[in-house]
Amino acid sequence: MLRFWLERAMQMLLVIFCVATLTFILMRVSPGDPARILLTTHNIPASQEAIDALREEMGLTDSLWSQYIRWLGDVFTWQWGTSYMSKEPVAGELLKRLPATLELASAGAFVMLLATCLIGLATAIFSTGLLDRMGRLMALLGASIPSFWLGFLLIYFFSVRLGWLPSMGRGGLAHLLMPAVTLGLGLGAVYARVLRTNMLEMNSQNFVKASRARGLSKGRILIFQVFKHAFLPILSMLGTSFAFMLGGNVIVETIFSWPGVGKYIIEAITARDYPVIQGYVVFTSFLFVAIHLAVEVFYVRLDPRLRAS
Amino acid sequence: MNNTKKPFSFSLGMMIVCLMLVLAGCSTNADSNTGKGTNAAGENNASAANKTLTMAYTWNPAGVDPHGDDSWDVMRSGAGETLIKLNEQLQPAAWLAKEWKQEDANTWTLKLENNVTFHDGKKMDAESVKASLLRSIENSHLAKDLLLVKDIEVVAPDELKIITTQPNSAIISSLADPSTIILDVDSIKEAGSYPAMTGAFKIKQFTKDVSLVVERYDGYWGQPAKLKEVTMKFVTDGNTRLMALQAGEVDVATDIPIDSIELVEKDSKLEVLSAPSVRTHMVLFNMNSALFKEKANREVVDQAIPREAIIESVMRGYGTKAKSPFPEILPFGKVAEQAAGETTEQLLSAGGWQKNAAGMWEKEGKPFEATLLTFPHRPELSVMAEVIQNQLLNEGITVKIRKVENIDAELAKSDWDLAMYSMLTAHTGDPQYFLNIFYQSASESNVSHYVSKPLETVINKLNETSATEARNALAIEAQDIINEDLPQSFIVHPDNVFGVKKGVTGFIPHPIEYYYVTAEVDIT
Repeated sequence: MLRFWLERAMQMLLVIFCVATLTFILMRVSPGDPARILLTTHNIPASQEAIDALREEMGLTDSLWSQYIRWLGDVFTWQWGTSYMSKEPVAGELLKRLPATLELASAGAFVMLLATCLIGLATAIFSTGLLDRMGRLMALLGASIPSFWLGFLLIYFFSVRLGWLPSMGRGGLAHLLMPAVTLGLGLGAVYARVLRTNMLEMNSQNFVKASRARGLSKGRILIFQVFKHAFLPILSMLGTSFAFMLGGNVIVETIFSWPGVGKYIIEAITARDYPVIQGYVVFTSFLFVAIHLAVEVFYVRLDPRLRAS
Repeated sequence: MNNTKKPFSFSLGMMIVCLMLVLAGCSTNADSNTGKGTNAAGENNASAANKTLTMAYTWNPAGVDPHGDDSWDVMRSGAGETLIKLNEQLQPAAWLAKEWKQEDANTWTLKLENNVTFHDGKKMDAESVKASLLRSIENSHLAKDLLLVKDIEVVAPDELKIITTQPNSAIISSLADPSTIILDVDSIKEAGSYPAMTGAFKIKQFTKDVSLVVERYDGYWGQPAKLKEVTMKFVTDGNTRLMALQAGEVDVATDIPIDSIELVEKDSKLEVLSAPSVRTHMVLFNMNSALFKEKANREVVDQAIPREAIIESVMRGYGTKAKSPFPEILPFGKVAEQAAGETTEQLLSAGGWQKNAAGMWEKEGKPFEATLLTFPHRPELSVMAEVIQNQLLNEGITVKIRKVENIDAELAKSDWDLAMYSMLTAHTGDPQYFLNIFYQSASESNVSHYVSKPLETVINKLNETSATEARNALAIEAQDIINEDLPQSFIVHPDNVFGVKKGVTGFIPHPIEYYYVTAEVDIT
């Protein structure tokens, strides 16, 4: 077990090192001068002296090597540099916004899971007929409707027309509902289709036939055997989607003015705030690795064959 | 098989539900006063003595230090004041400084209002103003460039002397820039504390990415604010701001997207407020490009721009035709319109261009084909680019539009011919700063790569002139040279546009983009 965790920790360090290096290179080759952008925020031209002074202040006049070494040092001391915009440490800035993103991602994942299970189960039980056709249509819409469009549609109906829900901001459950649905519903409808297919395939498996022969009830077989086994392949997809949501959903957070990591990063990209962008990429890569590790552990728990190997 | 065990999916689901509920419970209540989202702002206004106003605000400041990058946001909140204010005619007017005098080319004295207190209760005097100005020069590149201060002396408790490094006749107008907001320097020595300024409102709460809340300052030296509290919610998406206004969650929304203005106009509960601005949308010519080195080719493009049609269709009437970098609302913006020159036919024929069988202009077998850059941050510019492209196609000229994410980075390269651009040309009501930075040949901000010795001579003369009339005349002379050489084609001065709930009074859009909330703003 110790070896397993050591291997995973080494893999994580390697991934973070590669991502940190790649991000540094990509940021430096992408167009845009952070000093100039910061000084011309209000479209007022900036003097040459001001641009030069700020470049020096930001350390952009140092050689690329020294900038890279400084960045790596920041990564491994868990500081991730100082934001050009707020002049505060990037790690702290990201952590401040993480609870909002975590809240939205969890709610989005809950909607996704609920939609997957409800639609998947219903369409598997009634695999022919109107319900199945509706499930297919929902999956098609879920895959094709962009989240910004769904978000605005929800705001228009539930805030502007009906006045039931707040259109923006973070607060109680009322604030959470529309962003969570926007985030999770589409993916849930798509995964429901996969769950349905898996469940129908499981129905013809020998262990299901054996359970029927033993006289177990249909509901028991469906929930505790067919569903449980059919759900296994979906787990990794759900894990990946949850990791994406935790990375901050740029569009949903912007539309609903949700003060999370996604909204923050889009502003950092616009301002070419290198330390924030680089810190964010390292942060999300860490999240991905950690969540995949968690999914792997759950897999082992769910599937005894993996435990043995 | 052990069927008594709870299925894993159930456990996972329950975990997520619990996590979500805990997080929702722990979440900030900073904006919980929006309640169900139905007319929450209106409900707050029920009590006349405690009236509040909520604004959906375009920008997302990183902090509230007016001497940093967020000075405009602080000024817009009504919490900050400067020594000088720009009036409706964009002339410098008294604010914290009640009068001023030029002693010699490099020396100015300012007499301060003597009944002003900071939000922490301390009295404002010449010493505190000096400390504040020195801090702004140290922290803000813009303040340093605008003021050109060599030294500041305290002459009397209510009198300051400012000595500049070189003649700087624009200094009085420059003291209206938000980067020079006066604050009690001691108030922000501790991390996390809010600056004590002198405005009708003081900062109550700043929540990153969420809002800035200001409340009435009872010790204000002028007329007290009519509102008890103003909340500026940071909503960067234009459509979200519009829908929050339509839903009644906010009383004011800034920068309504031009293509959605009709929705506000048609809503009986809302109205559009606008004012001409000191912003200019323009087409830049790359003076180093093979095509636009030739003045005749620049003239062809300039003549083809349908300015009136653009204002009518793209700007929905919210803008004025631009004849120069500065709008006509400024005393130095009244330049003579260029007389109609030669036709496209005459200009291009004289330059050796010929029309081919398809009706397109070509020279030595090469078609007249230009690249036009545009960028997403100001969507109306991209629409204008398409209008110009279409107009030039009718003239027999092909324009290829290239959308770029970062316009300034692309302009620094050489592979472009034309570019859509937008600038605030006189944000302190004075032409000096813009002309120096945008047109001096050594400046990196001279994005058209335009070099004109006669223009630089006029700008240098302007820098040394202090009499207002003479300065205005020089600014007009500079614009005449610019219009003659045509390094840019000026299209439109867009209006500042706000959507407001009917019943909001005293919210008067100003041509200067940093005056929003004042003591006069009220809601019924």
